[in-house]
Amino acid sequence: MLEIKDLRVSYGQDVVLNGIDLELGVGETLAIVGESGTGKTTLGLSIMRLVEGTVRGTIRFNGKDLLTLSDNEMQRIRWSQIAMAFQNANNVLNPVYTVLNQIMEPMIEHGFKSRDEARDRATELLRYFCLPQNRFTAYPHQLSGGEQQKVLLAMAMANDPELLILDEPLSSLDAAARAEVANLLRETDKHCAKLVATHDLDTVSKLADRMAVLYGGKIIEAGPTRDVLSRPRHPYTRALIRAYPNMTMVKDLQGIKGRMARPVSGCPFHPRCTQAIDICRTKTPRLVWNKARHIACHRGGIITLLSTKNLTTSFGSLKAIESVSLNIEAGETLALVGQTGSGKTTLAKTIMGLHQPTEGDVYLEGAKVNNRGKDFYKRVQMVFQNPGESLSHRLSVLEAVMEPLDIQGIGAKEEREKKAIQVLGEVELPQTRDFLNKYPHQLSGGEMQRLAIARALVLAPALLIADEPTVFLDASIQAKILKLLLNLQEQRGLSMLYITHDIAAARKVSDRIAIMLDGRVIEEGPSNEIITAPKQGYTRNLLRAASALRSTGQRR
Amino acid sequence: MLSKQNLVTYTIALLFILSLNFFLPRMMPGDPLMAIYGDEALIAMTPELKAHLIERFALDKPLWQQLGAYFLALFQGDLGYSYYYNAPVSSVILGRLPWTLLLVGTSLVLSTMLGIILGIESGWRRGSKTDRAMLAGLMSLNGFPDFFLGMLLLIAFGVTWGIFPLAGALTPYSGLSGLALLFDVLRHLFLPVAALTLAHLTSGYLLTRNTMITVLKEPYMLTAKAKGLSQRVLKYRHAGRNSMLPVVTQTGIWVGRVVTGALFVELVFAYPGVGYLTYEALLARDYPIIQGVFLMVAISVLVANFLIDLSYPKLDPRVSYAY
Amino acid sequence: MHIDLKKEIKESGPGKTGLFILLLMVAMALLAPVIAPYNPYQQSTTSLLPPSLSHWLGTNHVGQDIWSRLVFGARTSLLVGFGVGILSTLLGTIFGVSAALVGGLYEKVLMRIVDAFIVIPMIIVIILISAYIRPSILTLILFLSLLSWQGGARIMRAQALSLKERGNVAAAKSFGASHFYIAWRHVVPDLGPILLVDFIYGVRRAVFMEAGLAFLGITDPTVVSWGMMMRDALSFSYLNVWQWWLVPTGVALSLTIIGLTFVGHAAEPVIEPRLRGAEVA
Repeated sequence: MLEIKDLRVSYGQDVVLNGIDLELGVGETLAIVGESGTGKTTLGLSIMRLVEGTVRGTIRFNGKDLLTLSDNEMQRIRWSQIAMAFQNANNVLNPVYTVLNQIMEPMIEHGFKSRDEARDRATELLRYFCLPQNRFTAYPHQLSGGEQQKVLLAMAMANDPELLILDEPLSSLDAAARAEVANLLRETDKHCAKLVATHDLDTVSKLADRMAVLYGGKIIEAGPTRDVLSRPRHPYTRALIRAYPNMTMVKDLQGIKGRMARPVSGCPFHPRCTQAIDICRTKTPRLVWNKARHIACHRGGIITLLSTKNLTTSFGSLKAIESVSLNIEAGETLALVGQTGSGKTTLAKTIMGLHQPTEGDVYLEGAKVNNRGKDFYKRVQMVFQNPGESLSHRLSVLEAVMEPLDIQGIGAKEEREKKAIQVLGEVELPQTRDFLNKYPHQLSGGEMQRLAIARALVLAPALLIADEPTVFLDASIQAKILKLLLNLQEQRGLSMLYITHDIAAARKVSDRIAIMLDGRVIEEGPSNEIITAPKQGYTRNLLRAASALRSTGQRR
Repeated sequence: MLSKQNLVTYTIALLFILSLNFFLPRMMPGDPLMAIYGDEALIAMTPELKAHLIERFALDKPLWQQLGAYFLALFQGDLGYSYYYNAPVSSVILGRLPWTLLLVGTSLVLSTMLGIILGIESGWRRGSKTDRAMLAGLMSLNGFPDFFLGMLLLIAFGVTWGIFPLAGALTPYSGLSGLALLFDVLRHLFLPVAALTLAHLTSGYLLTRNTMITVLKEPYMLTAKAKGLSQRVLKYRHAGRNSMLPVVTQTGIWVGRVVTGALFVELVFAYPGVGYLTYEALLARDYPIIQGVFLMVAISVLVANFLIDLSYPKLDPRVSYAY
Repeated sequence: MHIDLKKEIKESGPGKTGLFILLLMVAMALLAPVIAPYNPYQQSTTSLLPPSLSHWLGTNHVGQDIWSRLVFGARTSLLVGFGVGILSTLLGTIFGVSAALVGGLYEKVLMRIVDAFIVIPMIIVIILISAYIRPSILTLILFLSLLSWQGGARIMRAQALSLKERGNVAAAKSFGASHFYIAWRHVVPDLGPILLVDFIYGVRRAVFMEAGLAFLGITDPTVVSWGMMMRDALSFSYLNVWQWWLVPTGVALSLTIIGLTFVGHAAEPVIEPRLRGAEVA
């Protein structure tokens, strides 16, 4: 019914939409998701041809290209076949006419109804949206924000349009009204297709069958709402969901590094993307259909950084780990939860090459890892359990952090020193001469672990394996370290394999959790699913036994 | 909007007018009776009449008693007696009033309405050639005093082309009635109304145009356009209706201007209204008439303002009585 | 204000035109004795002559040279105009700023009086007063000023109120500055452009009123005035004389007012920046 091809909209030098392709079928609801200023409102306005800038491309509605119609023809289509409910702001409704009057107006002006019929229909619409009767003849400024929103929706539906464009339809409503209005809108789905422009993921989940994510004037991911929200494939989509407070996700909120800015060339997201490669800087990726999803990314979406296939490591007859197949994606944290002896550390060490597997393979970015050379260690680093042991007591702070650089022979001494000092800043350790000359035994436990993390980061690895990094630390320090790791992930796009016995901590930092028991991975999935709906009995036991601050006297 | 503030303002204005009327003649040097009636009238008065008047106005009594007599007379509707016209001032004025009301009323309505319409059209096309031409044209028009406009119209249409009559409100001694009478009145009314309307067109135009420019930027104009409404509806029902509001607030002040403008226009066209009466009275130094006119005009302007204030909330639902 | 008044006027077409016209009129007034070939009061027997080389605009009904009278008439109009302009803007500023700074009952009472005077049409007050007292030019200027400062006072007060809230005023107050000091050093200087606009419109109003009053015959008959010239010409509308008697005088008067209007309009964005834009090129 609606087909948009290569839509480009610009205001003078400012390019707002840079080649949009989308389709909408009869009765479908598509959500256009983007943060402020990304052009979602402009998209809606350009369908209605209300945009004042330059518009190029095709917008085909029921076969006709709207951009080629005359002003008169467009005027007839407006509000009769395509209508828009604007974002509720001050003075979107004319202050000198009653709301009933304003709803009646398009019905009368388009010649669809007589005055009395219009009044009846308008009353019907306002009742449908549950506006109190005594408000019908009120003036806009006399209504609350939520009531005004309902009026805007009722007004948009005045002439039973085939296509309804909604701009942030639920934002000015409180939670209860949101659910109510969302239902009302869904009930009209069969005969009214909808395009919902919003930044609010809750609105998307309530209203839309499909969603398209807008960034930098382009659609970077599109697909069925449920799929995209639970398994986002574009780094931006994933970051957006991670940044959105909701009851479903258990991981702590993370921001997106950098600020929204339009780069001159290449993928619009590349300055903020943590898996960007050279081509991302120069060439703009096209939106392609890839594994049941539309995605615009040179790397096909979030890549799998590391994977193991049927990894088995035995010590003699003891199978420490058996047939472990795991995937770790770029920029995500996989928590490996298990008790002592479950094989977690063995798995980590096997991946790192400190143990030789008896069966199975490890793949890094798709390529099988046979020999682990310097290149491997540049990409994968590890932080061990006990920093006191892993840090040589002979090396000062600076020397310790510089050690990986020295081993790899990267750059001149001054460069290495600068890099080392910089990374110390990232883990929030002092960068003073005094501190740099200290020795590990002069540091606190937390400082030592930070130092260890700094050392692991100095090579700028893509994957950080953290083996019980906080087990020797106090709770308050643990919290800081966890926060640090989350921040580093946000800033550097680090992937993490977070190994712990503490499922409560795992919950807070991980996107996915894998449960290990006796050398096998018995359950694995998105964190919120594992936490709320574990399938295995062992997992349920783990959850029950996990720390829960409940007042005494309450027993499960 | 009507409010306590406005009521106080009107009261002060009223007091000022009344005091001016009262004190001015009494502050003049010389015989107070002469100051009130003018020397010409005095010549015509008999001594008994003079004595009677002195008693009536309590001119030989202290000031506060005179004030009392003054207000008493006012409340009785007694504005004095004109010896020039040989009739009570009130009846002389009332006799001329209808013509002035006709002139002022018609001009006020026409200039406001036309001003609004031109302002809307101009504001809608802001920056275009039409707009710029209208703006320059109307601002230039504003520079022409109403009496000059009147004289130009008179000479052009009255003297040179003879389309319209040169003076008066009616053709004298014509004995017309019904439709013919109406036509006659309109013929005589045309040029004076044209002069007065043209002279006061610009204020409404400028105000409407400026408001229109602001209104067109408002979000509800985009909403209205999205509704697929015609240009006419957008211009008038949506933008125009909102642009009119400041004009209504100003109308009160414009009433004052049009009324005084009528004074000059009546003079030019010898239109037998209160304005021309004033001119005649000025020539004859008939103070009672001058005072009477002043009082009447000033008070009617106040009343007009008051009524306009009352009606404002009906036009702008965002405003309510702020008592 | 960071908006440059001079720039505003210079960049506007009508603004430039207006300024030009004004300068022309001022030049005419100043140079009157030089460019007027005759004494404007000198009557002669050659009345109602059409224009000729010796009388560029002919003569009026008492044989006076119209051109000379026109040129001297500019003096009257501009003298009264500027006189009233200065005085009424001065009074408006004094009362408006003091009302804003002092506040309290003083402000309330003053503003009610101001509003009252704005509602009353001033011309009829002047007519009434003039009926009793024949005003000379000076008294005319005085009366007109006393009755027209109120409009400016409202605007000045509004501006002063917002300027009052600014940091530099608060600082001055904390040093113990008096109202007068604050007004003089901090408020009035920033009012500059608005003062000028108020002045321009004040001049315009006064020129209008003086002409009108002269037309009615209330002003000093010993002074040459455009309004009075037009009044004299009125009785002779039936003759051809209007072409060189009424029209040039009326046009001179109108041009002066138009010039002032254009300059004022060009300077308006100083007070209302929203109006700036593609309206008058």
